[in-house]
Order: sequence, then C-alpha cells, then structure tokens
Amino acid sequence: MRSLLKLFSPGLWIVLLMAVISTVLVALLPVKANRGMQMWVFDANHAKIAGFIAEDWNRAHPATPVQVKLITGAALQTRMLSGFYSDTPVADLIEVERSMIGQVFAGPVADVGFVDLTGRLDRENLRTGINEPSFSPWTTRGHIFGLPHDVHPVMLMYRSDLVEAAGIDMSKIETWDDYFRVLRPLMLDLDGDGRPDRYLLNSSPTSLFYHEVLLLQAGGRLFDNANHPKLNEPLNARILAKMATWYTGPTQVAAEAPIGGPSALQLIREGYVIGLLAPDFIAGQIRMSLPDMAGKFKFMPLPAWEKGGRRTSVLGGTMLGITKAGATTSTAWAFAKQLYLSSDTAHRLYDVARIVTPIKANWNQPFYDEPDPFYSNQRIGRMYIQLAPEVPVRPSSPYYPMTQQLLSSVVIRLCRYADEHRLYDGPSLEPEAQRLLDEAQHKVEAQIHRNAFLRADR
Amino acid sequence: MKSSRLHSPWTPWLFLAPFLLSFGAFIAWPAVRSLMLAFEQTYGPKTTAFVGTANLQFLVHDPFLWTAVGNTVVFTLAAVVLQIPVALGLALLLNRSDLRGRRFFRLVFFSPSIVGLAFVAILFSFMLEKRTGLINASLHHLFPAWNPDFPWLDRYVMPSLILAQLWISAGFYMVYFLAALQNVPGELLDAAHIDGAGAWQRFWHVTLPEIRPVLNIILLLVVTGSFQLFDLPYLLYNDTAGSGPDNHALTVVTYLFQTGFRSGDLGYASAIGWMLTLVLVGFALIQRRLARAEES
Repeated sequence: MRSLLKLFSPGLWIVLLMAVISTVLVALLPVKANRGMQMWVFDANHAKIAGFIAEDWNRAHPATPVQVKLITGAALQTRMLSGFYSDTPVADLIEVERSMIGQVFAGPVADVGFVDLTGRLDRENLRTGINEPSFSPWTTRGHIFGLPHDVHPVMLMYRSDLVEAAGIDMSKIETWDDYFRVLRPLMLDLDGDGRPDRYLLNSSPTSLFYHEVLLLQAGGRLFDNANHPKLNEPLNARILAKMATWYTGPTQVAAEAPIGGPSALQLIREGYVIGLLAPDFIAGQIRMSLPDMAGKFKFMPLPAWEKGGRRTSVLGGTMLGITKAGATTSTAWAFAKQLYLSSDTAHRLYDVARIVTPIKANWNQPFYDEPDPFYSNQRIGRMYIQLAPEVPVRPSSPYYPMTQQLLSSVVIRLCRYADEHRLYDGPSLEPEAQRLLDEAQHKVEAQIHRNAFLRADR
Repeated sequence: MKSSRLHSPWTPWLFLAPFLLSFGAFIAWPAVRSLMLAFEQTYGPKTTAFVGTANLQFLVHDPFLWTAVGNTVVFTLAAVVLQIPVALGLALLLNRSDLRGRRFFRLVFFSPSIVGLAFVAILFSFMLEKRTGLINASLHHLFPAWNPDFPWLDRYVMPSLILAQLWISAGFYMVYFLAALQNVPGELLDAAHIDGAGAWQRFWHVTLPEIRPVLNIILLLVVTGSFQLFDLPYLLYNDTAGSGPDNHALTVVTYLFQTGFRSGDLGYASAIGWMLTLVLVGFALIQRRLARAEES
C-alpha cells in the first residue's frame, strides 16, 4: 500500500481523488424525469399563449401534462435537427419557423422526424377548415407534417401622420406605380445635404425576405407546387427588373430600416421609411415596440402590380409538428388540436401579437372587428382576414433558403449592373435580370440534382 | 521488485495510453470516419447513401465552393498584408523605451483580443450601420458630403470583415513581436548604429533577421487562422447564416458548416473539410521548407 502511495506524488493523488469524487457526485445527481409531454417553442408570445392552453390541458389531463419550453430559434433548430439526425432527445411537440423546416425535408420522406399528419387531417375532415395555402410550407412530396399556426398575410403599413399632413389621399392608390408617383413629394431632403432622408418603401437589394414577398404578390414564384425550381420564369425577370429601379439611381424610392436590426425602430420613428411591408405579426411588434407612435400608422392592402391584381402576399410562418420520437402521438395530436384549433387561442394570438388564425371557423369572431386605437382605430384584424384566402402558395423545398439568397444576389447584381450602365427602367434591365436568373436557376438545379434522397423519392 | 515493475515492457505503453486513447478516439477515428463520409451522401449520420466520387466531382464544379475559396483567399492575403505589418509596427512603436505610457498603450492595443468575438461582431454591426452607425454618422457630421447611407456591410463586405479582424488580431500578434523584439541583442543594434546604419538599415539587417523565427510562426498562424475564418462572418451576417450579401462573406468553413450542420449532408461537408486540410498541410509544408532553406 505504502509503495503504491509512493508511486505518484501527493499532488497527483489529490487530483485523482477529486476526479473520482466529482464523478461519483455527478453520477448520484437525481435525474429529473420528464413527466407527460414536452413542447418546444422559439417565440416568447407563442410560449405565453401555449402556456395558458397547457394549464387548461394539464387540469383536464393530469396523467399527461404538457410542459412548454421556450428555446431561442437557433438553439431549437440545432436541438431539433440533432434529434432527427442522431436520436438525441427531442420534445414531443415542436413549433418550427418557416426558415427551419427545409432542412427537415432534405432526406427521404420516410426519415422526416415529424409524424405525417395527412391521414389524420383527412380522416377528421380538418383540412377544409384550415386556410389551404397555409399548409404549403409544411408539405413535402404530398405529405403534411405540421399544423399551420398562422396565415401572415401582408399589408402596407404607412405613416399616416406624414401622408395626411401632406394632404395625400391613399384610397386612390391601386398599384405600386400609383403609390410611388403619389407619394414621391414625401421623399424629402431634411438636412440639406442633397440626399433624401425619407424613402417610400422599407426594402433594399439586400432584403432577404421582401423580394420574395413582392414576387409572390405579382404571381411569380421560386418553386412550383412539386418543389421544382422556377427561378428563371420570365415574370420573375420582369418583376425583379422593375424592383431594381426602386433601389438605385435617380429612380430610387426604397431603402431599408431592417426590422430586428439595431437601428430599425429609431429609423421608423424618424420617418426614414413611409411604407412597410407588414405581415400581421409586424403589426403586433410595432405596437409593442413603439407605443409612443400610437395614431401615426395606418394599413392598406398592398398596392397591386397591375390594376385588379393581388393586393396581398405572405411572409414567415410557423407550424406545430409532432415528433416521431415522442411516445404519445395520439395524446400529442389531441393537445395540438386544442392549442391550434380553439377560439381561445385565436383570441389570445390576436390580442397578444395581432396574428390572425388560419382556422376559418374562427374568422367570424367579433374581436377581429374591434377598432385598434394604436392604428388610428382601423379594424386591422378584419382587414387581414379578408386578405387571408388570397395569400400565395409557398414552397417547402430544402433548397428554399439557398434560392432565397440567390434571389437576393440577383437583385444586388442587377442594381450594380443598372448603376454601371446607367439603366434605370424596367424593360432595359429585363434581359440582364433574365440572364442572372438563368444562372441562379442552374446553381439550384445542380444542388438539387446532387441530392440522392430526393431523386430516390421521385 | 518495485524497480522491475516500473521497467516492464508495458510501462511506456501504460504512460502513453491516455494520450493514445484520446488521440485515437478524438483525432484518428474521426479522421478515418470523415474520409469514409466523403464518399457518402448523408441526411444526418443515420441516413446515408454511398455516392462514390460524386462529392469530389461536384466539389470541382460547385460555384458556391469556389466563391467561398475566392473570398477566403482574399481575406487571407489581406490578413497577411495588413495584420502582420500593423502588428509589427505597433510592437516596434511600443518597444521604444522613450515612449511615455507604453504599458498603457500595450494594454489598449491588446485589449480587443480579450473581448469575445460575439461582442466584436455586434460592435462592428452597430458601428458600420447605415445612417445611425458610428462611422457613417461621424463622417457625415464631419463631411456633410459623405453619404450617411453608405452601405459598408452591404457592399463592402470583405473590407468590413478585414477591418474587424484587424482590430481583434493586430494587438494579439503585437505581443508575439514585442517578446521577439525584446530578445534582439542591444549590442548588435548599437554596433550597427556606430557603423553608421540608419534606422531602416538597422531594422532590415539586424532586427528582422533576429525576429524571423517568430515572424514565420505568426505567418503560419495568420494563414491557417484566416483559412478557417468562420465565426466573424457567421455572427456579422447571421441572417444569411454567414454568407453575407451576394455570398461575399461566404468562407470555406462557413460553407462546410452550412452543408454539414444545416443541410445535414455530412458527406459533402467532409469532402470540403478534406480539401481544406490538404490546402493547409500544403501551405505548412511549403512554409517550413522555405524557412529551412533560409536558415541553411
């Protein structure tokens, strides 16, 4: 024993002893077993609403309580994908944001980590009761993997105080051309440096999301319903060419106060942009973030690209999925229905975040008709719901985020081309837009073609 | 008895065992596994399909990868051309015994490297903002003709990254140079001075040869570090997962991360990783050979 003790120095023995003791202590720590079901959400408002509904559920179902856990978006995405890829523990129910879902659909359809809800929705006749286009981002190869949380129709939110002070009547505006022509006098140089300090639309060549919003509104698309890329369709080229003229040169009318960026609220308050492309959740965010701006904003349907054209688009979105790893699929499905289909949730969703539900049966609820004092007493709930059935269908391709970035690259390059050649009208830029879109289409096709799993499923 | 036990043929292996085990588990086996993965397509580690050399063939024609390689090379060249001279310049300046407050300035220039990179990225995203950012707002205030909407982060992606990296790293490498400069024998410099050598000649013919071994190490660190650039663009351009506008911030490692950990294609990510490894090993070998040739 003594010879053993002398084999190492006292210091080393202490380190070894500490290692052993700490290992034993960690091993003895009680493991907190999860009772019932877990639900992961990435948004604080969603967590709040789910928490209320879970309380009711837990009272009625003490054997299978639901625990709602708020996790930041990036962490939720990593944990969810790790779970699906490598069987690490995941929740029974997960709320997934649109930008996260593509990766879930990148493999064979049989290996998607969420339960296929198509059969349940059909058997229980639920599909017809939910806004049809709202299923599209959560559907791959004909299978629906999530219940839609929202519709997110887009309207134009504008600074009514500035517009009305200039004596402009917004009701006469029908198209984007009307909008920019009528509001052009508001693009003022406030500090005398020869440059405008106010722009008419909150968008820029680097806006990742707004190009798609405007493209979809015009009837353009990134993918067809079977998720084949359709980036280089002539209509897309025409729309992007027109959009490029908004962003650069003497025809520039748009600049960005990036929502979520460090200075966006200050810029919006200062009136840097008059109009914002605003899905319903932006209405909720602005109301919460700029309470001192009450009465200074109003909404109108988006100006159309052509007279009689579509007056809305769609941006963002969330679904609720049931994981295959969860032990209690039927109980999770029952909770999912209680959470997403109830009028109570619809009311809370609108009350907290101004988000309108995709459940058509709830669209006639009276709270949507209440005037909103923050938005100059407009009935914005009803306005959004009237536009909800018209929101465009969107893709669920795993290559959607890449395509969205390529779209932004096309606009950036097109603006550079416009500046280099001093071309600031849509028709002159169209051939270059088409060339850039052809190039982008080729890149996406090459990536998709490489995916052996999608090839096999086809 | 004790002595013979300690000198048994197994004793060296016993001492080597912890290293060998951890090396095998965390370096050798992952390297072998990643080489195997380079010939597969995966949807996470569970779902795999053997694709032969398809990943390697695609690598050659992948426009995103070559954009990433181009950006990485530009960043690396800029890092070598800017970071090393700036760090050496600062070290020379702060090595002067007649400079008052040099300890304070050493701390000031070194401090950016002890702040977290996330903090640096946030700081630069604030500073380089259009209109409200410190740089545009200050320049517009000083020179009214300056465009307050100057798009640093949108149009000047690489200069923004280089500037941020220079701010973080210059002080860090300055410390290496300071240590090397303090080992340059004073009598050599004095002798050169007495022989009539000017400041530039003393630097070129005495100081630089003396600090060359440290310079070589720093060159290796800067090049390998720049080729592995990931966190700064990822944090600064988080909305595009580190790609930046028109992929101008996309680096090889960012692309590897996006492919492997966002798309779940660990196979193609492994192929990219092996390509990067070969480039870095190649550079290290060339650099080592050049250093040896110089020494001999």
